[in-house]
Amino acid sequence: MLEIKNLHVKLEEDDKVILKGVNLTVEAGKVHAIMGPNGSGKSTLSYVLSGRDGYEVTDGSASLDGAELLEMEPEERAAAGLFLAFQYPVEIPGVGNMTFLRTAVNAQRKSRGEEEMSAGEFLKVVREKAKSLKIDAEMMKRPVNVGFSGGEKKRNEILQMAMLEPKMCILDETDSGLDVDAMKLVAEGVNALRSEGRGFLVITHYQRLLDHIKPDVVHIMADGRIVKTGGPELALEVENNGYAGILSEVL
Amino acid sequence: MALEAEDQIELREGVDRETIETVQAMAGKYKHGWETEIETEYAPKGLNEGIVRLISEKNGEPQWMLDWRLAAFKRWQQMEEPRWAMLNYPEIDYQDQYYYAKPKSMAVKPKSLDEVDPKLLATYAKLGIPLKEQMLLAGVEGSDEPRKVAVDAVFDSVSVGTTFKEELKKAGVIFCSISEAVREHPELVQKYLGSVVPQSDNFFATLNSAVFSDGSFVYVPEGTRCPMELSTYFRINAENTGQFERTLIIAEKGAYVSYLEGCTAPKRDTHQLHAAVVEIVILDDAEVKYSTVQNWYPGDEEGRGGIYNFVTKRADCRGARSKVMWTQVETGSAITWKYPSCILRGDDSQGEFYSIAIANNAQQADTGTKMVHLGKNTKSRIVSKGISAGRAQNTYRGLVSMHPKATNSRNYTQCDSLLIGDKCGAHTVPYIEVKNNSSRVEHEATTSKVDDDQLFYCRSRGMDEEEAVALVVNGFCKEVLQALPMEFAMEAQSLVAISLEGSVG
Amino acid sequence: MALAQAKLDAAEARLAGLDLPKGGWSAAARADALARLRAMGLPGKRDEYWRYTDPSTLTTASPAGAALFDAGDEAPLFDGIDRVKLVFVDGVFDAAQSDDPAAAGVEFLSLAKDIHWAKGLYGVLEARGQTPVERPLAALNTAAASEGVLIHVTGSAAKPVNLIYLHQNETSDAILHHVIKLDAGAEFTLLENGPAAARFNKVLEVEVGDGARFHHIRAQGRDHERRAVTHIFARLGAESLFKSFTLTANGVLTRNEAIIELTGDDAKAHVAGAAVGDGDFHHDDTVFVTHAALRCESRQVFKKVLKNGAVGVFQGKILVKQGAQKTDGYQISQSLLLDEASQFLAKPELEIYADDVKCSHGSTSGAIDETALYYLRSRGVPLRQAQSLLVLAFLAEAIAEIEDEAIAEDIRQRLENWLARHES
Repeated sequence: MLEIKNLHVKLEEDDKVILKGVNLTVEAGKVHAIMGPNGSGKSTLSYVLSGRDGYEVTDGSASLDGAELLEMEPEERAAAGLFLAFQYPVEIPGVGNMTFLRTAVNAQRKSRGEEEMSAGEFLKVVREKAKSLKIDAEMMKRPVNVGFSGGEKKRNEILQMAMLEPKMCILDETDSGLDVDAMKLVAEGVNALRSEGRGFLVITHYQRLLDHIKPDVVHIMADGRIVKTGGPELALEVENNGYAGILSEVL
Repeated sequence: MALEAEDQIELREGVDRETIETVQAMAGKYKHGWETEIETEYAPKGLNEGIVRLISEKNGEPQWMLDWRLAAFKRWQQMEEPRWAMLNYPEIDYQDQYYYAKPKSMAVKPKSLDEVDPKLLATYAKLGIPLKEQMLLAGVEGSDEPRKVAVDAVFDSVSVGTTFKEELKKAGVIFCSISEAVREHPELVQKYLGSVVPQSDNFFATLNSAVFSDGSFVYVPEGTRCPMELSTYFRINAENTGQFERTLIIAEKGAYVSYLEGCTAPKRDTHQLHAAVVEIVILDDAEVKYSTVQNWYPGDEEGRGGIYNFVTKRADCRGARSKVMWTQVETGSAITWKYPSCILRGDDSQGEFYSIAIANNAQQADTGTKMVHLGKNTKSRIVSKGISAGRAQNTYRGLVSMHPKATNSRNYTQCDSLLIGDKCGAHTVPYIEVKNNSSRVEHEATTSKVDDDQLFYCRSRGMDEEEAVALVVNGFCKEVLQALPMEFAMEAQSLVAISLEGSVG
Repeated sequence: MALAQAKLDAAEARLAGLDLPKGGWSAAARADALARLRAMGLPGKRDEYWRYTDPSTLTTASPAGAALFDAGDEAPLFDGIDRVKLVFVDGVFDAAQSDDPAAAGVEFLSLAKDIHWAKGLYGVLEARGQTPVERPLAALNTAAASEGVLIHVTGSAAKPVNLIYLHQNETSDAILHHVIKLDAGAEFTLLENGPAAARFNKVLEVEVGDGARFHHIRAQGRDHERRAVTHIFARLGAESLFKSFTLTANGVLTRNEAIIELTGDDAKAHVAGAAVGDGDFHHDDTVFVTHAALRCESRQVFKKVLKNGAVGVFQGKILVKQGAQKTDGYQISQSLLLDEASQFLAKPELEIYADDVKCSHGSTSGAIDETALYYLRSRGVPLRQAQSLLVLAFLAEAIAEIEDEAIAEDIRQRLENWLARHES
């Protein structure tokens, strides 16, 4: 499904090289986790895949179901089925959460040549999905992410994911800033979306999120590369020995 | 209760949905640029005493009105056009245009709407303003019964008709064209005309005082809440013709009225002059809301054509506890020169000014407000949102003045500018004059560009760049959009998006 | 047209009363300034740029007298600092009271001497500063100044230079023009204090080279009847720093203009002022900051405390030119009005032609916060002390712009003393 080959990326601003040849394949129906110390390039990978400005790809490729991602505009990647749950969801004052979601859903439908959702149908679906994430009507009325708590922001990301029904979901440090209860809620939301046709890439610093979202494959990233790949037990190894142990073993 | 909240969402979503659909449906920028082919009678080109007399005669005015005009004309000849605004335009040749244009079919004033030339009715229908009482302005989804809006339609120099006059009359409200008011209610017009914006106020107001041809008149008697929204729709159609309308609104003690104003014009290669005056008199405990969606033809990308819009609007809060609220959405015109003001004379009176000004391509806007605090415990609030794109220049210019006797008064000003692209300009020129210490004045202003993170977030959820910009800009303007009546909020939201078309990418 | 003629006539009348310096190395610059002045005329109160301050007493041929002020046993500001003193008495350099300028570790010369490096600078920044707004009193200064210092800083100066302006003649009319040039990487602190004269017209031109750092702290003297119009014209190179703070207590009329141009990338300019006035006091801060390079930062922080009919004026502008991306511009002007009769008049402007910028301004005016006052008193702080505390807290943001903590503390102390003396 998602195929990343030899991806090299540097920052546009100061030429600093961040990714130094990432190779990764996520199959449909699987959950892959990327773990790694701060500064290893995890978040950069998620931004480059979703098309944020400020990065220059110097080599390599990334494709989703055979479609070359790196050439696309951010909205084209979204329409192609890629979704990034932001580590720091952006606040947009004045724009209602509901308006935002509806504009996004219909924009994607339109680009895929599908009928737009009617107001009634949309509202019904949103209410249902919001309910399971404990997002109330009040939160839907407020401006996008403005004044939301950390947990509310992350739940809102998962709601967007549920509404947009992407093929490939990237979760960037979704557990950061969450307490245990909030994390459970978010994880349940994600688990509910796991399906045969959908791939997940869960980026996290800590193992604890992976207690709730069970990965099929775990990768360790360091200094812009994936240095080790294994099963769920790899995450436990990180938990027990820290990154230092694994890295010294690899390098 | 929970259900109610959810229904509200639906209602709001209805509005937003409409907006997006309207925006998407409109591929072609300015949508009111067509022209009505209609036989028009013109006064001779140019301006002189004879033209002033002719306009007065055409309107069947009494002598006092003519004298007033002539006095204004005399004064105007001595005045110089002001050049302090941050506006750059070639000299206007005041002799090279028509000051009076009227459809020939209006030669005999129609007695009722049924007698109005179908071409004129069709014009307004096409603009979305049906001039029939049984066809109401688009009702809002979800509300119990459709809301009524009375319309006075001004076409070039004349009012072609006013709806719901009889129903309003029953409530004691007078709503008619100003030319009719001069004839039918001279005592009111004589008492109030020029009492808020004096003849000598400024170059453009003085010009208007001499040559105004029509406009609207509203009188709401003591203790009366006007039973419906009132609106005037201004349409410039004739070529090389200036429109000079005059509006006078009087709210007696305890009265309330909400008034809406819309304006459009055809696409033309030449500039056209529009110099209006609006005067509002508000007595004790009365309240007036005045909303404008200004969508005159802005000119093309190169700055060819477009309306030169020089407008003087002022509300005099004469009575204690009186209140005025100006809301304006300024998206049109090649040049905008406009400062709707509040004279807070009565103790405890309140003035509010909410503004969105969008300038794209070669447009220039210099707009803002004056809050003159004269009475005790007076309050004012200014919220201005300026958006510049293309090569446009957009200036907020405002005055907040606290006189020595205006003790315990308050002003809060928030003035935000948004820049889209690196060729445009955004400027803020506030004047703050505080002459007593028990009053508090707060002014804040910011200038920034459209936030890249917000755009990226929207795009990563699948919106294209223009859609993302329209959404973020609408969010930036939300506080002002919310101040508009629902019918106008819809139009305004879509206008925001349309006005910014082509500003990104 | 009559108005314009009156301004030209006023300029001629003023010039007639002056003995203009002739010849010498600065002759060409002076002639140029004279021509500019003759074309502009002197400012009149109908000029937009003098909307809130009547310039008439600054433009008359001879000044109104100003009584001398006795500061009692209060030590002059900066006395505790190791610095090089250069003393002017009513605008005339007094070598006997001054230190040897060589001790400052800078190249120093008097305006009267011939010097090559200043030739390309004298009047140059002043002339640049005449657009888009005319500043005739600065042109008058360039044409007519007979005294001033020329300081060339080539490295890190050993000591600050302190220009001390003594006022001993009740009808003196002083015109001083200083030029300071900081080479790339140089660092220099200029201190100024004293009332100078009954009427004082001063121009300071500062060229700050790439990476150079310029600090300026001044106190304008407490003479109640003095009048002053001062201009600082500064041009900043890449990664340079310019910081200027002014304390004004008393003075019947003060107009301080600062015209700062950020021409090198990543430069920083901070201008600040604290003014306290009681009674016949009119204080005008007029600032014009031009951003003409990338990633520059500017701050304008002006605070005024006014009582008994004192008038505070602020006209501040941030101009961001096309292409000056990543500009960070900040401006705040606030006045605390301690009684009904005092006034604050402000025109804080932004003029912006670049999109990737962050600019803001804020302006407030009002009385002392009654709730805060009550809170302090309910905790046992006596009324006067509570007022003084709140006033100093109000001024804090401006004083915080002074980097030297000892000087900042001294100024804080003097403000506190001023408040104590002016309790009503």
